[in-house]
Amino acid sequence: MKNIVKQRLLVNCGRLLVLVVILGGTELGIRYGVLSRLFFSSPSEIFVAFEAQWAKGSFLPDLGITVFETLLGLAAGSLAGMAVGLLLPQLRLVSHVIEPFLMVLNGIPVIVIAPLFILWLGLGLASKVGISIYIVFFAMFIPVYTSSLRLDRTLVDALRVMGATRAQIFWKVVVPSSMPSVYTGLKIGSGLALIGAVIGEFVASRAGLGHMILYASGTLDTPSLYLGIIAIAIFAALLSLTVDALGPLLVPYRFSDEK
Amino acid sequence: MLEFRNISFSFTGRRDTIEVLRELSFGCRENEIVAVIGPSGCGKSTLLSLATGLRKPTAGQVLIDGRPVDGADPRLGMLFQQSTLLPWRSVVENVELGLEIRGERKGPRRQRAIALMRQYGLAGFERKYPHALSGGMQKRAALLQTLAIEPKVLLLDEPFAALDAQTRVVIQNDVVKICRAGKRSMVIVTHDISEALSMADRVVVLSRRPATVKEIYDVPFSREAESVADAPAMPGFADYYKRIWNALDISIGGMNAAA
Ligand SMILES: Nc1ncnc2c1ncn2[C@@H]1O[C@H](COP(=O)(O)OP(=O)(O)OP(=O)(O)O)[C@@H](O)[C@H]1O
Ligand SMILES: [Mg+2]
Repeated sequence: MKNIVKQRLLVNCGRLLVLVVILGGTELGIRYGVLSRLFFSSPSEIFVAFEAQWAKGSFLPDLGITVFETLLGLAAGSLAGMAVGLLLPQLRLVSHVIEPFLMVLNGIPVIVIAPLFILWLGLGLASKVGISIYIVFFAMFIPVYTSSLRLDRTLVDALRVMGATRAQIFWKVVVPSSMPSVYTGLKIGSGLALIGAVIGEFVASRAGLGHMILYASGTLDTPSLYLGIIAIAIFAALLSLTVDALGPLLVPYRFSDEK
Repeated sequence: MLEFRNISFSFTGRRDTIEVLRELSFGCRENEIVAVIGPSGCGKSTLLSLATGLRKPTAGQVLIDGRPVDGADPRLGMLFQQSTLLPWRSVVENVELGLEIRGERKGPRRQRAIALMRQYGLAGFERKYPHALSGGMQKRAALLQTLAIEPKVLLLDEPFAALDAQTRVVIQNDVVKICRAGKRSMVIVTHDISEALSMADRVVVLSRRPATVKEIYDVPFSREAESVADAPAMPGFADYYKRIWNALDISIGGMNAAA
């Protein structure tokens, strides 16, 4: 017991140390001219850039827009991927017909299809949300679809013997047994939702963290570039933590012995 | 109560047809336990699936109370060879599943399930997930799920194969008592000659595929023994064991020769 506490303390101290070395190293490296100002920025410079962006009144909107695009893309893409992944196996014929099309669509790299979304939906939020939905859809659809195809037939047979209707089998077996895959889909999708939003902003945009990064890169404003990266990294980490926390809600039986 | 009348069944594959059952007839009366024993792969599970309505015989009829089976029959309950407990439901929710499918209200069905669990040694495990139960307890929960709908005809497919010897005897005893108390008809598929002799009133021996009825033995042990555990010590038991063994035509010499 004591050992575990000790070890945890040690690990946290180690982590703190790594952070201090990185921050202190870049701070000192820049100050004494060891690191190039073009390629690196010190924490203090990044903070100054943050103040400047804040003063301009563009930081919060940029952040908010990217967060909004990502969350909307994640939610809508996941719901769509889940719905199609669950319903398609119920319609054998339709599923056979459209499966190859979906697989080909899924194979297209998102960066290639992004300009099309800009063309369709314009420079604003809609195109970014669209791109995000597009990749999240497949991240959710593929695991859910394959898991519903590989549904445990004995469970279905057991319910049929008890006289269950198709709808009862769908809600009592098909949907719950897809939940582990939904969880997997959410985990993969949450990362991809952010990628989709930022790629959209890279291709063409007027705002968002992607826009800020691209602009900073174009004007050789290295500290703002780092600021954008750090903001995205923190958001990505928080998003991933949130999705992990959904596990006990989606698949409680994997986390606990008791309902 | 349950009657197989001149049943034939074949699986039609893409290339070939596998004849599994050939003109097979036997019945199971009210308050009677029939054990079906036969070589692995001869078609015992297939035979049960014909009674549940999950499959239709190629020729012949399965009758319950003189009426041909057509789809799921509310008078029939089946305990599958594999576990059919839903992992995302607590044990009590699994036990009441059959009643839930029939549209029984939550209050009464929960009461019934809890009462059954009390009666059969699962009190205190109502809220647990199936994975938190031992193998024997899981089997018992599955059995209670089948019993909760009070079937007149009970089909058990190798129900005790995975249990340790002690648990096995306890559950075998329970099952026999349940069958007698409710004046049910019970068909139990097994590989175990002792189990067949100690539980059943009649033992049906099937031949290799395509399966036909090879022999039917009327055996007295189940009714005369105090408990399932006492049956093997009764006079005549070894005799029947030998006769069934011979009827099964298990050629140990042949196996050695092949190896
Ligand atoms: N879905 C299927 N399609 C084609 N053939 C099948 C199918 N299911 C079973 N069979 C074949 O039918 C035969 C009977 O299978 P079944 O499961 O009824 O045997 P069993 O007597 O229950 O065997 P065991 O004692 O090992 O459980 C087997 O030879 C098997 O290969
Ligand atoms: Mg079988």
